[in-house]
Amino acid sequence: MTASGLTSTSTMPFSLGYGTNGFADHPLPVALGLIAEQGYDAVALTLGHPHLDPYAEDLGDQLQSLRRLLDELGLRVVIETGTRFLLDPRHKHRPALVDDEATTRVVFLRRAIDIAAALQAECVSFFSGVLPEGTTAEVGWQRLTSRVAEIVEYARDKGVLLAVEPEPGMVVETVSDVLRLRAELGNPRNLRVTVDIGHCVVVEPDGVRGALLLAGPLLANVQLDDMRPHAHEHLPFGEGDVDLPLALATLAELDYRGVAAVELPRHSYDAPGLAARSIHALRAGWHDAGRIGENGRWLQESATAIATGTGTLSTIFTLARRHVGRGPIRPDNDPTGVLFGTACDHLRGQLIGRLGDVLPPDELAQALLTLYGNGDSAERRGVLRGLGALSTGSQQLPDTVVSVGLRLTNEALRTNESGVVAAAVGPFAATYLDQHSWRHAVLKLVFMGISLQAVAHLTERADDELARMASDFAAERTAAGRPVPDDVQLLLQASSSYSTSS
Amino acid sequence: MRLFDPHIHMTSRTTDDYAAMYASGVRALVEPAFWSGQPRTNVGSFIDYFDSLLGWERFRAAQFGIRHHATIALNPKEANDPRCVPILEELPRYLIKEGVVAVGEIGYDSMTAAEDEAFSRQLELALEFSLPVMVHTPHREKLAGTYRTLDVVRESGVAPGMVVVDHLNETNVELVKNAGAWMGFSIYPDTKMDEQRMVAILARYGTERVLVNSAADWGRSDPLKTFSTANAMLAAGFTSDDVDQVLWCNPVEFYGQSGQLILGPIPGFDEAGPLDATAGFEGNSVLRGARA
Repeated sequence: MTASGLTSTSTMPFSLGYGTNGFADHPLPVALGLIAEQGYDAVALTLGHPHLDPYAEDLGDQLQSLRRLLDELGLRVVIETGTRFLLDPRHKHRPALVDDEATTRVVFLRRAIDIAAALQAECVSFFSGVLPEGTTAEVGWQRLTSRVAEIVEYARDKGVLLAVEPEPGMVVETVSDVLRLRAELGNPRNLRVTVDIGHCVVVEPDGVRGALLLAGPLLANVQLDDMRPHAHEHLPFGEGDVDLPLALATLAELDYRGVAAVELPRHSYDAPGLAARSIHALRAGWHDAGRIGENGRWLQESATAIATGTGTLSTIFTLARRHVGRGPIRPDNDPTGVLFGTACDHLRGQLIGRLGDVLPPDELAQALLTLYGNGDSAERRGVLRGLGALSTGSQQLPDTVVSVGLRLTNEALRTNESGVVAAAVGPFAATYLDQHSWRHAVLKLVFMGISLQAVAHLTERADDELARMASDFAAERTAAGRPVPDDVQLLLQASSSYSTSS
Repeated sequence: MRLFDPHIHMTSRTTDDYAAMYASGVRALVEPAFWSGQPRTNVGSFIDYFDSLLGWERFRAAQFGIRHHATIALNPKEANDPRCVPILEELPRYLIKEGVVAVGEIGYDSMTAAEDEAFSRQLELALEFSLPVMVHTPHREKLAGTYRTLDVVRESGVAPGMVVVDHLNETNVELVKNAGAWMGFSIYPDTKMDEQRMVAILARYGTERVLVNSAADWGRSDPLKTFSTANAMLAAGFTSDDVDQVLWCNPVEFYGQSGQLILGPIPGFDEAGPLDATAGFEGNSVLRGARA
């Protein structure tokens, strides 16, 4: 199945699972029963306390009965090895594969491979570790490669797949790090990739879709959770910035057939509730993923029609709304679609993003001018979102495109229509708009009562002068006996932690 | 009581009018493109006007909980100025835009050859884009103009059920009814039609295919005439279902033929009552921005 074949009624090619590290307050058999009861088809089994002790004397018997239980419940299983304090009660995740002395880690991973073989698990997932103080990156990398080589060989003999998980802050932090490690080891067939979709918003340069596509056919294990960009904290779906439908659509596009398991290790206190809410969110996300697939097909057909001259760009752009509708993309947080746009704004934006690949710069610039000039407010929002897509999709945009983009952005910022103004302060403005205009744009949002959540890279660009402007604005409001918007406080705080950057 | 004003020129009205309309039950309206009192002299003047109808005016209406739609056309009066006629070439791109629910106002002002030409051309566009048509009947020579209008519509091939003939009165209502077109009535303070005469026409010709509008603009007019007509209907013994048919279901059925009506409540408003203005618009108080 490809993205263009995905529809809202397709079935998932992969199996949804739940991690046992999110059920630390339940005995393992009870946890497995609850997971299956909620409709999950798989489990990510974390070895060690409080569930399966990898060093138990009767491990063989335990594994046999566990395999029987998994069969009864119809659960696939992957082995996770990220247990805290398993090998060193004082230091989390130590020793690591990048430490000077790591024998216990290697022995543990071998044990995990034995367990995976006994359970006929899909794979064993493991991470690299944080570079110890005083160790150079080269030395850490060298230790890692030699130990992984050893583990790979052991696993090959046992017929077990390995999956390296990139972790924020560790030596292997991104999918491209895994690929580099794999290449240095001669691309062993049984060394694959784990992707945690939450990590992607923290560390992956091309986001969740980019990371999954990069892993491609090497993807052997997926962890599902939400996360915010600046904090490596596993959150329930909806509480962070992960685009879950996009992640699921990308997995479908890859025809990923492995396990994708919810990873919420700090939420055991409400495990049954989270297991229920998570699968509900995943099913809703999958439904939306179907729409992404349909939109992907529309984008493909539209781009082809434009490229081959069988369709008119401006007509296709206008009629996009009849294809996708006008609902807000974040209905809970932004029911009017003012801050983050509507489904159609984004589809139009994506179409413009594609044009960046097929049109030469001059034609692209002219197309942007025409689409904006001939557009109604929604189409103009689409063009502005498209500028954002263009500016995040490549390194540096061609000068002609930047020049037109700035002209349109400034024109949009002169309007008083909240949705248009909000769409003009996205990634394109963050990258290309001069500091004076950008400050005025931000203050205009505050003045118009539009939340500053609409602004891309706010904290990176906020400076003392903007804080001064916000402070004057607050003084004016106070003098008039009118309330001061909360966002003013945000601007004052931003300047105290970031220096002037103009 | 939910009200739909199928013909009102909000560009000419104040925010107080929007607030009063919402308070009296207006939840949706159609603003037909027409002239601006001061004659236009170039195509650009139309383009900014059309963009404003689909942009700022729709946004402004939304701040007050009202769904705003538009009809787009070269109006009959300005069809007589050769400097304005090239706007016809720009119409196709507007006729596929969101919330454009008809081609209009078209028809006759002085029944000139230029008006004939623009009328026919725009009926062709309505056929091409599968849109309903709003036809304005002339202020002078209304009966003769109505006959001619119906002839031109018949010749165009546009189905009569896709046409509303507007600004009718006692002299031409039967003609339009028999032609199978929709009958539009503009309730004005002291011209065209008033509430009592409207009630009498409804009593005589029934509530089917009748649209009642305020046609309020920058002249002496009243944006609450849909509301006062509804009350006059109730006072005359019509049921609330009759009122709902004339002042909501009929315009929804007629303009719904475009597939472009958007009628759900605007977030931050509900169907029960007016918004608490101090509460803001879903927490981001765009109301303030709108008034800036």
